[in-house]
Amino acid sequence: MIDIRCKKILRDAWLYRARTLLVIIAVAIGMIGAGALLDAWAIVQRVTTQTYKASHPVSATLHVQNASDDVLARVRALPAIAAVRARRFVAASVEGGAEKLIGEIFVLQDWNAQDIGTLRSERGTWPPRDGEIVVETSSLEFSGATVGGSITLQIGKNPARSLRVSGIARDVGLPPGWMDHVVYLFATPATVASLGAPVTLDEVQVVVRDTTLSRDAVRHIAADVKAELEHAGVHVSAVDVPEPNVHPHAAQMDSLLLTQGAFALLTLLVCAFLIVNLITALLVSQTRQIGVMKALGASVRHISTMYLAHALLLGIIASSIALPVAIAIARPYAALKSEMLNFPTLDATVPWSAILLQFAVGCLLPVAAAAIPVARACRMSVAAALRDPGVVTERLYVRRRPAWRGISRPLQLSIGNAFRRRQRMVLTVLALALGGAVFLGADNLRVAVRASVDRIFAGARYDVLFGLGSATSVESIVAALANVPDIARIETIATTRATLAHDDGMVGDAFGVVALQSGSELLSPVMESGRALKDDDVDTIVVSRRLAKEEPSMQTGATVTLTIDGRDTRVHIAGVFESGPQLLAYAPAAWFNAMRGDARATQVLVATTSKQPALQLDTIVRVRGALERAGISVTGSHLMRETRRAFEDHLLMVVQFLGAMAWVMIAVGGMGLGSTMSLTVFERTREIGILRAIGARHREIVTMVQLEGWLVATLGWCVALPLSLPMSATFAWAFGKVMFPVPMHPLPTVHGAAIWYLLTTIVSLLACAMPARAALRRSVASALSYE
Amino acid sequence: MTSVPDNFSSASPLISLRRIGKKYRSPAGDFHALSDLDLCIERGEFVAIVGQSGSGKSTLLNLLAGIDRPSAGELFIDGANLCAMSQRALSAWRGLHVGIVFQFFQLLPTLTAAENVMLPMDFVRRWPRRERRSRALSILQRLDIAEQADKLPAALSGGQQQRVAVARALANAPSILLADEPTGNLDSKTAQSLLDVFAGLVNDGQTVVMVTHDAAAIRKATRSVTLLDGRLIGAAHD
Repeated sequence: MIDIRCKKILRDAWLYRARTLLVIIAVAIGMIGAGALLDAWAIVQRVTTQTYKASHPVSATLHVQNASDDVLARVRALPAIAAVRARRFVAASVEGGAEKLIGEIFVLQDWNAQDIGTLRSERGTWPPRDGEIVVETSSLEFSGATVGGSITLQIGKNPARSLRVSGIARDVGLPPGWMDHVVYLFATPATVASLGAPVTLDEVQVVVRDTTLSRDAVRHIAADVKAELEHAGVHVSAVDVPEPNVHPHAAQMDSLLLTQGAFALLTLLVCAFLIVNLITALLVSQTRQIGVMKALGASVRHISTMYLAHALLLGIIASSIALPVAIAIARPYAALKSEMLNFPTLDATVPWSAILLQFAVGCLLPVAAAAIPVARACRMSVAAALRDPGVVTERLYVRRRPAWRGISRPLQLSIGNAFRRRQRMVLTVLALALGGAVFLGADNLRVAVRASVDRIFAGARYDVLFGLGSATSVESIVAALANVPDIARIETIATTRATLAHDDGMVGDAFGVVALQSGSELLSPVMESGRALKDDDVDTIVVSRRLAKEEPSMQTGATVTLTIDGRDTRVHIAGVFESGPQLLAYAPAAWFNAMRGDARATQVLVATTSKQPALQLDTIVRVRGALERAGISVTGSHLMRETRRAFEDHLLMVVQFLGAMAWVMIAVGGMGLGSTMSLTVFERTREIGILRAIGARHREIVTMVQLEGWLVATLGWCVALPLSLPMSATFAWAFGKVMFPVPMHPLPTVHGAAIWYLLTTIVSLLACAMPARAALRRSVASALSYE
Repeated sequence: MTSVPDNFSSASPLISLRRIGKKYRSPAGDFHALSDLDLCIERGEFVAIVGQSGSGKSTLLNLLAGIDRPSAGELFIDGANLCAMSQRALSAWRGLHVGIVFQFFQLLPTLTAAENVMLPMDFVRRWPRRERRSRALSILQRLDIAEQADKLPAALSGGQQQRVAVARALANAPSILLADEPTGNLDSKTAQSLLDVFAGLVNDGQTVVMVTHDAAAIRKATRSVTLLDGRLIGAAHD
């Protein structure tokens, strides 16, 4: 048998079903947003952790000349090493329609090893056989490869050759090919030999026995392996040690999901405002009932339990709706996120812990939000509760009735009405303002990101970059392109890889060094600190901000030892430039080429006369043709515009998400305004009846309601403007943590503020439409007799 | 905490008010609703408190019900010093000792008639849960309204609602039944019927204190007490 108080709760919920529904929808929306993110995060965490660990990721890669079986045996004998393999990485160009794509072929002798860098076969045959090739899953779509079809590859100046695609495999250790626009391929030594590449394997990859070690500890083991190899007479040119057990993009994804989670919590906070408003309104309308119950002997505990149970009931219903929807959204979202990390989502089960957490939050949020108004209602004396006349005019308002000349009386009434329930108005304004602050903050971040991208690309004034299959003399390149039309300027650059030699004998991760031509018009890094390179600089480089962050010893003014082409060189760091997420350094070409004893170029930068995409594509085809006719192989061509677009898209993905969260908050804030207005109209039923009785027409009543809503919305907009300052600062800080530092734009843009105001006005019109209609639905007689 | 006066005995009046005063603070200044009021009511009395609007009738009833506190004086009901009790203690005491009938019935709109009667029993828990419905039905039967037990208040007439309100007031067998203008919202026939109910209750030993303007109600009472500007100006016995 249901307790009578339970019956009252259920029937009250039904009696005030519009409000009940609004609370349920508000909590459900907040829960769906927060729950979907939590579920997705839980799925991605499990998938990435389990799958990545199960693949036995490589702990360190040592670059050598030739990793023979003897060498591998020596490394395998080291006690800290669990597994070892030899690999070769070969750059190739892949035919992909009009343009050539960059291909990276990974070559192993034994593809069946299960204890190091395990790959998962997804289709076709595995392992790759001689004369055939396997494509990595994430490269499949944009490369146009199909199982059983063929793919045309060219390595250096060797003739291009078509190979049969025998299968598809996934390497969870690689970033997604579609994201980096690289076709990842797997082949045997015999297959790459048929393309003209050397058959020797030049990388020694190891997995350490203790997989719980830190990166520094793994670096020490890698140093031991290097020493062992060098003891055996094998020269090690570079050592790469990635963060142990962490996918290359996992930190970014975690940060992104956590940022999203923070916004979900913010949305829940806005929902809580709405709940406070609605529960307060419920209690106000039941003040006399509370008084009666107290007069009948109900204690504070009886009353508070009853209304908190009411809030709990709403939470349970909202959670029951939100949980399955959140799971349904989380699964494809987690799959998308996993795909962005190049992980298969084999198990999309949401952990019970995540479901229980959401259910608990969903149930407790309305209870927590209701606690304050319930406590206030319970504190009211019985006599005061029984005397309650409904809506009372607050004291301050009695004393300071607004009486502005030149403002019509109905408008004055609207203004006064907006301030009658100040707490409710404040919560509604805050809900709208939070949505506005997120919207304006996201807009500011968008501006900041675009400005940063402008700054990063300001130094790159070329239109197309051509990668060459091998180092080529500058003269032969210039001669080959001498008669190609539509070229405004040609420059060449040489690139190589270098590593930082740490004082403790450790070797840092490899990074690119670009030889910068004297007086270059197409490439000049934009300095963040220190100075730019001079033509007569020797032993001097400038480094990217990201490199300076990764290697703290590489700061402006420091002198460090770099290992370039196997030789240790002391260099002075003249300055730091911005290049986004790239690990990069520039050196003056004169010194760099002299130091290396090689003046040949590996890349060609071209500025086209026309900036039209179609004409630029024609120029690419002509340049490639001219170079290839001159016997210079081209491994890839990149349109700067496309590179920039892809770069911007990656960055703006975060900004777009923030924009989406702002929309959710706008929706919840709009519901808050709608509920506030409907409560206001409901509470003033008799007053509206009086206004109509003394001659107010429908239009005037509707205008009053709409004006009141618009006033609250405008206040929300006003509060959003200053609130967007800390929000923008937080966004810029968070973005700097996840991606790279961006300049702060604390002040909202005029454009952003205007759009937000327009949205606010539309939201207020929509939110007030129903309450305005409700105000007129009741007859004047019934409105006048309403108590 | 209930305290018993030194001179309290079983022969003491059920209700004893000594030099009771009540003032309200308002932006317009202090308002004295009751001043220097002395009143005793014996067990089994049917007292009508009469007076013009604003004379302090409802204030006095609120003090008797323990839903408001006097600003001055002493108030004992059935040996309990209401002035010395905390809100929590008052709430528990009220549930056990006082039944209240309001002018506008004040039935909870989402509960049926029987449920409205059972609600005070749920709060006080004097009767086991399984007995509450039968007790509610029995009280409704006594007030000749049992056939409406499972209807919501909105489905009942004014007279029926007021009978349910009386039944609710009797739910926990209180020593005092307080009624604030119980006939104020009823037609004369229904009002007469309700007064008959009160008279029947008094005959059964129930003490009833009623605030009223209604001459018929005053005639039905065993004693009337008249208030003017918060002071007792006269008492009459039938």
